[in-house]
Amino acid sequence: MSETLNTQKPRIDGALKLSGGADYTADINLDGQLYGYPVGSAIASGELEGLELEEALGMPGVVDIFHHDNFDSTLKHSPNSFAEKNTVSEPRLPFEDTTIHYHGQYIALVVADTFEHARAAAQNVKGKYRANDQVTSQLDELDADNVAGLPGVLQEGDGQSRGEADAAYENAEVTLDHHYSIATETHAAMELHASTATWSGDHLTVYESTQGVVFQRHALSHVFSMPPEQINVISHFIGSGFGGKLFMWPHAIMTAVASRRLKRPVKTVVPRQSVFTSAGSRPRSMQRVRLGARADGTLTSIRHDGSNETAFVGMHNDTVISATPSMYACENVAVTNRVGEVNHGMPCPMRAPGEAPGLFALETAMDELAWQLEMDPVELRKKNFAERDPASDLPWSSNHLIECWDNAAKRFGWENRTAEIGAMREGDEIIGYGMASQSWEAMRLQCSARVTFLADGRLQVSCGTQDIGTGTYTIVAQTASELSGVPIEDIDVRLGDSSLPSGPLSGGSFATATVLPAVKAALDAATQALIDKVTQDGQAFSDVDSESIELNDRALTYGDRSIPVTTLLEELGIGQVTAEASAEPGDEKNDYSFRSFGAVFVEVRWDPGISRLKVERIVSTIDIGRAINPMTARNQVEGGLVMGLGMALFEQTEYDKSGYLYNANLADYIVPVHADIPPIDVELLDYPDYHLNAFGARGVGEIGLTGIAAAISNAVYHATGKRIRDLPISIERLLMAN
Amino acid sequence: MTEYFDPKTQGGATSKSRRNFLKTVGASGVAAASTPLWAQTTQARAAETPEGDPVKASAPAPGMSRIQLNVNGVERTVDVAPQMVLLDVLRNELGLTGTKKGCDQGQCGACTVLVNGQAINSCLSLAISHQSDEITTIEGLERDGELHPVQQAFWEHDAFQCGYCTSGQIMSAVAVLNDDRIGQSDAAVREAMSGNICRCGAYKNILAAVQDARKTMKGGV
Amino acid sequence: MRAFDYARPGAVDAAIATHAKADSAYLAGGTTLLDLTKIDIMQPEQVVDINGLGLDRIERLEDGRVRVGALVTNTALARHELIETHYPVLSQALLSGASTQLRNKATTGGNVMQRVRCPYFRDGASPCNKREPGSGCSAIGGVNRETFAVLGTSEQCIAAHPSDMCVAMAAIGATVSVHGPKGTREIDFGAFHLLPGSTPEREHALEPDELITHVTLNAPERDARSGYLKLRDRASYQFALASCAAHLTLKGGVIRSPRIALGGVATKPWRALEAERILEGKTPSKALFEQAAKAAFKTATAYEHNAFKIPLGQHAIIAELGELTGLATTQEAS
Repeated sequence: MSETLNTQKPRIDGALKLSGGADYTADINLDGQLYGYPVGSAIASGELEGLELEEALGMPGVVDIFHHDNFDSTLKHSPNSFAEKNTVSEPRLPFEDTTIHYHGQYIALVVADTFEHARAAAQNVKGKYRANDQVTSQLDELDADNVAGLPGVLQEGDGQSRGEADAAYENAEVTLDHHYSIATETHAAMELHASTATWSGDHLTVYESTQGVVFQRHALSHVFSMPPEQINVISHFIGSGFGGKLFMWPHAIMTAVASRRLKRPVKTVVPRQSVFTSAGSRPRSMQRVRLGARADGTLTSIRHDGSNETAFVGMHNDTVISATPSMYACENVAVTNRVGEVNHGMPCPMRAPGEAPGLFALETAMDELAWQLEMDPVELRKKNFAERDPASDLPWSSNHLIECWDNAAKRFGWENRTAEIGAMREGDEIIGYGMASQSWEAMRLQCSARVTFLADGRLQVSCGTQDIGTGTYTIVAQTASELSGVPIEDIDVRLGDSSLPSGPLSGGSFATATVLPAVKAALDAATQALIDKVTQDGQAFSDVDSESIELNDRALTYGDRSIPVTTLLEELGIGQVTAEASAEPGDEKNDYSFRSFGAVFVEVRWDPGISRLKVERIVSTIDIGRAINPMTARNQVEGGLVMGLGMALFEQTEYDKSGYLYNANLADYIVPVHADIPPIDVELLDYPDYHLNAFGARGVGEIGLTGIAAAISNAVYHATGKRIRDLPISIERLLMAN
Repeated sequence: MTEYFDPKTQGGATSKSRRNFLKTVGASGVAAASTPLWAQTTQARAAETPEGDPVKASAPAPGMSRIQLNVNGVERTVDVAPQMVLLDVLRNELGLTGTKKGCDQGQCGACTVLVNGQAINSCLSLAISHQSDEITTIEGLERDGELHPVQQAFWEHDAFQCGYCTSGQIMSAVAVLNDDRIGQSDAAVREAMSGNICRCGAYKNILAAVQDARKTMKGGV
Repeated sequence: MRAFDYARPGAVDAAIATHAKADSAYLAGGTTLLDLTKIDIMQPEQVVDINGLGLDRIERLEDGRVRVGALVTNTALARHELIETHYPVLSQALLSGASTQLRNKATTGGNVMQRVRCPYFRDGASPCNKREPGSGCSAIGGVNRETFAVLGTSEQCIAAHPSDMCVAMAAIGATVSVHGPKGTREIDFGAFHLLPGSTPEREHALEPDELITHVTLNAPERDARSGYLKLRDRASYQFALASCAAHLTLKGGVIRSPRIALGGVATKPWRALEAERILEGKTPSKALFEQAAKAAFKTATAYEHNAFKIPLGQHAIIAELGELTGLATTQEAS
């Protein structure tokens, strides 16, 4: 391949997004629509004894208020199964009981004729609480040595441990044992979560900002005891999600119930504060890493024990140890992760779940080991490069990590590094260099798609997946164009609708590897359907063996004979030929291990006179197989690096001792702004991974966010001599650390 | 030469059909978009922005005031309650949903519009207080069916991902490029654009787009 | 956000009279008022829009002082030639605040009236003595990092005053002109903002219905140097963790008339008077600045999460004084 694939293509939805024409969920207004506005609990733990509703019910425009005492009692829980595609974020149904599990938990939904009326009334709904003084935080005890003896659920790392990690550690020539922690983070996608529900007879249509229309449809079908076919979930454009919109949240159920009861469309745009309290977070995690090595740097033992908070309303294992067994060649590896319940809102996957926090700990520990050994950190990693996946003992499908290290080091100018701490200066600023490895598992799932040849020459491709800003619309069009010869501007891509053939979640960096093979299968099937028609008696190719006919450049061809598809459709007297098909991974996972790798190098500047730390530049080299659209793929990596800069330096969802979420807004929850962004230089290697799919693509959404926090932390140590093992690396940690 | 939006002289120009630029944009080097049907519906709705709303027969409802707002060069008549903020009126009353709500508290910049050429947060401004102002939203930037140079540059540099902060980014960029008090260095642009959060982190490309549009607009405004 | 009535009078007297008719709030830029009405912390029955009062001029008075209309926006003030030339500390402070969009709306009078950013105050539910006198202070035992003070706090309230502009004005010296039902009066800038003490609900010296019409800056001093240094987590669009506005002259190699004000660390725009006394008449040196910085925080009270503001605030003082006196080499003002 190709002119169209692996080529920088401006997005096909660019004009819509750039002109205000893209219809995000909150932009859709339906006739007769009412507005929902949620009310959140003021306390984090206790009982809701009642609600003061009278004043609110009497306010202008208020239609109804939904709460525990009047909510729909026929609702069922979703089974919450990933395999059945009905995972939900918070298993508890809205208003299910009167126990308060977290600050901001919905206690009512006000519905009114206008947004202003709904909000005003919601502000007048007050809960009467019996607060429970006991706010649980089991994880604070996890610093102790004996992990098994602690509270929380012990989740072994998927049987990934190998060898005798403890014994090897005891016998190691050099050892290291440190604790790391990562603050709770919030996805804070710019688009507020939103849901508009409307019923037509027994059919429910939900406009939702979601990374998974199919999952939400199936979850709703259980909650409302309906066949999935009677539910449609639509999400044409998503103001991103970063994992926070993978699975349904309670506001969608509240809204659908309200719409059914009131027999009118209801739109609920979740206010920013509630997005923080009640729509997901990356949970706080605490990790302990023990490394054993020989004096030459050869790793002999890795023990990585992680833990993360979850909510009382549901279990979320953040799997911070997931990458560790595969990162380095080491015979003795033990990993565990534990989960403890706290009175916080439900956590959920956030961009690069597991790897982002886990590689912060492991890659910082590797840097610390390099200092102990007086080795160059790049050399230490090279010394322990894993020629095959040590976790599965399978060969890598494709692994160019060594080239990533070398390529990024060269472009960064790593050879200019003076190893000594604080030795590189410019004016008042002390310069620090740091690096880390990056990694994300590559996955591919089952997917269906439909392709339709249209009489006007256009080709329509549809799939029940989404474009959350990653560029899925565009790469689907590129792929269909490449394979059919139809110009990209004549490819009509339909996504974000659960009535379309079932497509994957937009998450986990698996959408590209999953969707494109289905597009190809559907195009092949539609082509075959056309061939079947034109090889009938009296048709253009009736004299030809159908297996020898090919689709080339918008035409069916056989030898020298080439007839445009549009001509064939006209001759057939039909308006379209369409077919749906599925594609799924084969048994390649039995033969290969699939993982993307990268290397990230960072320069920081520390001005001790004013306690100011800034990231001066970032260089990253990434091996993701083939980028279908290097322009959008590079943008993904750059965005991940920016979010990683926030994770490293700023981001912290803060709960006080009572479980109160203190900074549930974008002024107090500090994310990077434009002025924080240094020059970023990303290079994508181009080694197609054809073991995963025919397009060689492994996906790109997460990997940019891995490793970067460690690289920054390592650079801070190089500049300051301060080893900050707790994120974020805040000013006070820099000021107070030794 | 196409006359682009200039806050100092803006006013009177009428927003043309938004369908046109989708057809003509290919000429500028970016592949023309394929516009799905549902998107065309959305556009058609926006394109039918009236040249002034019909005179409303009945008096405003109790508590409501009938006001005139000049939006994208068009005098609009709308009934508002005093507490209604400009953002909600644009989106819910005038159908101009290109301006986004990201926080509703002046903390993100997604709702940025131009008022008399100055970028403001429309979420922190009462609609009723803008009766003598010229308001420009993202829907009012293109001219004669062509994208504004800033929109064009954003497209060519892939200066967005999810697109949700993009309207605000573009409106800020237009204001920055038309404000000679703001320096032209990368650092000055970064600082001036720091009121627009992009959680996707497309800042690098946003900066490149703004600086590139500066060249295109030179002499064009 | 409750419903409210709206009035847009055309003269100051009419505005005051209108304001007096109901439980009212003046609307200038709206960046504080609308923020707080939206989250139901302020619940005016009537909003009196003062944007038609023509208070948007910056003028030099005969005595050399500069009079700034209450409706002059932060952008217009920061970019005004008189301010850029004679009061760089004010221009720098303004441009370090908020965002371009907010500065385009926010006004001089509104910024003087800016309210605290304590999340417990803003949530409408937590105990808060400022919002609900006598209910307690949630911040003292809660999270008290970014927007909390170490100077001027009381057992009733520890919220920091959030303004950058006011810190610069405190260093320059200014008077606030107000009109009210009883006529006009002038309030010294240093007396305008009140310490929380036992009445944190009282934030300023305005009487009911009084309206700020102008802030008049003290006349610029010949050869004065001034500058503002703001320290925070991210590089922009965040309130100060600590800031220092400094204003001084160097005569014969010694510091004269130093005026130091601190932001982000105090419950009101904070004059560091003890530091000023230490600096007066002395030759600039790193040791002197450290001594002054230490004195500035002598009375500081650290809370659980904001102890770092004491050294950070000291850094701000030392660095800004170094910048103004030429002791620093590459220190950037920001």
